[in-house]
Amino acid sequence: MSASSVPPIRRDWLAKTLAGVLLGFTLAIGCSGVFAWLADGMQMSVRAQLAMWMVMPIWLGVFSGVYFFRSGLRAWAWLGGANALVFGALAAAQWL
Amino acid sequence: MRSELIRIYKAVHTWTGILTGMALFIAFYAGALTVFKAPLARWASPPAFTEVAAVPLADAPALIAATLAVRPETARDFSLNLKLDEHQPARLSWQVRDPKGDDHDSFSVRHYAASMGADGGVSVEEAQPSKLAEFIDVLHRVVGLPADTDPNRWFMGVVAALYAVALVSGVIVLLPSLVKDFFALRVGKNLKRMWLDAHNVVGIVSLPFHLVMAITAVGFAYHDGIYALQNKMLHGGGLAAAFSPRAGGPQDAPPRDPAAMLPPAELLARVQALAPGFEPERLQYAQVSGPRATVRVWGHDATAFSPRFSGGFVALDPYSGKVVNTEYLPGQQDAPHATVSSLFALHFGAFGGTPVQWMYFLLGMAGAWLFYGGNLLWIETRRRKVPRDGSGMPVQRLDTRLMAAATVGVCLGCVCGISLSIVAGKWLHGQVADLGSWHRYSYYAAFSGCLAWAFLRGGARASVGLLWLAAMFTFAIPATSLLGALVPALGLWAHPAAATLGVDLAAAAGGLCFVWMARATARRVHGGPADSVWSARAPAAASTSSGKEAAGGAADEVEDGVATAASTR
Repeated sequence: MSASSVPPIRRDWLAKTLAGVLLGFTLAIGCSGVFAWLADGMQMSVRAQLAMWMVMPIWLGVFSGVYFFRSGLRAWAWLGGANALVFGALAAAQWL
Repeated sequence: MRSELIRIYKAVHTWTGILTGMALFIAFYAGALTVFKAPLARWASPPAFTEVAAVPLADAPALIAATLAVRPETARDFSLNLKLDEHQPARLSWQVRDPKGDDHDSFSVRHYAASMGADGGVSVEEAQPSKLAEFIDVLHRVVGLPADTDPNRWFMGVVAALYAVALVSGVIVLLPSLVKDFFALRVGKNLKRMWLDAHNVVGIVSLPFHLVMAITAVGFAYHDGIYALQNKMLHGGGLAAAFSPRAGGPQDAPPRDPAAMLPPAELLARVQALAPGFEPERLQYAQVSGPRATVRVWGHDATAFSPRFSGGFVALDPYSGKVVNTEYLPGQQDAPHATVSSLFALHFGAFGGTPVQWMYFLLGMAGAWLFYGGNLLWIETRRRKVPRDGSGMPVQRLDTRLMAAATVGVCLGCVCGISLSIVAGKWLHGQVADLGSWHRYSYYAAFSGCLAWAFLRGGARASVGLLWLAAMFTFAIPATSLLGALVPALGLWAHPAAATLGVDLAAAAGGLCFVWMARATARRVHGGPADSVWSARAPAAASTSSGKEAAGGAADEVEDGVATAASTR
């Protein structure tokens, strides 16, 4: 089915699904944190609502797209890296 | 795109779809009806309510003062209703929530209404508004579970998240052949091809609607938890104060005299000046004797979308008439508020008036059909056909037989249950003490009966009878109104309002649809190909298994057919 030059895509259902659900959620929370930091001037009641709602498309988008990764390990590595980046930025923002 | 990825996403689509399809059918069928929640509530409200003499709006200040004198605790929150109808006939009303009840539990809320006699004396009564429309809404919110509680909503959230994945994966599977398939509805001998084409076309056409529904539904399920988490992580615990800035204030301020409030007509004039297109429907007063007294003027604006299901509002100070908040005033929201509110409006179809409501009704029904059809495709993919060598009729796989029974039982059980529950609203009125609970009993009696019948008889045999039952129960809705109008002695009723007649007419049309489906299904079950779970002539499971081996191979071939058809054609 797959060409010999390209390695096959591993199913890794459990690893990919967990990566999508868990790391997708933390990534979404992290992104909402970056948004809340950037939109500092916005009134808090509505900034909090936007921050809450933006979790859904990011989380579900990651969850839906996670099966594109070639393996569960890659999914965890890339999404873990993305999480580290976002939360690193968030931590750095605390010092600014 | 690599065909491998298509195969992976085909599996994702299959599993997320089959796990959630039936729950989503209930959510969408009940949700489509919830678009017309207000007409349904009016339909089910007995005429006795409308006979209550409405207090003129000009007398509202006296009514408020008299009510607060006998019920001082009402100062916390009460509503002055501008638009009175069968379901909300009282000028002044308020709700008392069960302090131990769940925030979302609308069933334990008690309703009170105050009216004024000719002598100026006020009488307070507990109102018993029909809970029919609310019950159907709850079914929709928690995918057919009986109560809107936290665990049920979390379950709904899981369904909604899988539904989102099913949507995306379905699009990915279809993408490579989208251009070719989108405008193709191959009606013909290959029924599976036709169902798949129809599934694709309805799915793609209503995709934006479904994406909105999935995203908002997951939000509705988990917002409490996400807010709590973000409050700790991002907002420094300041969320409670940000969401209710007017809750604080000086506590030792002397109580104010509500008699000094501006009359409603004056408040409405201020709103009119601020927003000419806004049509007020209700004045919701809060903390009127406190220093932070507010009145929210709720209503709709035909030229703007509504931030909430019940419209939008502008908040005023009822003593000075000063506008204190326009964040939820339709058409006058700032960009961040409009962004958040548009999510709500897009979920509820709270824009564009009646035409959009009908569009949402049809999209909801089309969604229910989409999930039903998805299950049919799952079954058809695993069908065992008569082998070409003619070695006998194959026995269908157990999982497809069970799925057929479950699909027919759950979907038609939901349809029958809702129709019966609506009819019960008129027949049981005055006959039972707690009509709200009887809506629930009648729904689950019909639902579980249909489900049991489907498993007992098998999907094919049960489907025809259940469709006739659905037609009967649904025809009973307008029949009950007709009977109420013709034979008043029965204690039934029919309101002459366009909205409630619309309920009767829509039910009559729905009944006709079920008759058509019942007849078509009967033709298929009794006269269609016998090598299918949808044939009453299919051999029983216990019969000879001579055809099994060959048929098993054929089924696998068919199963692969979809993925390859989608990826290579």
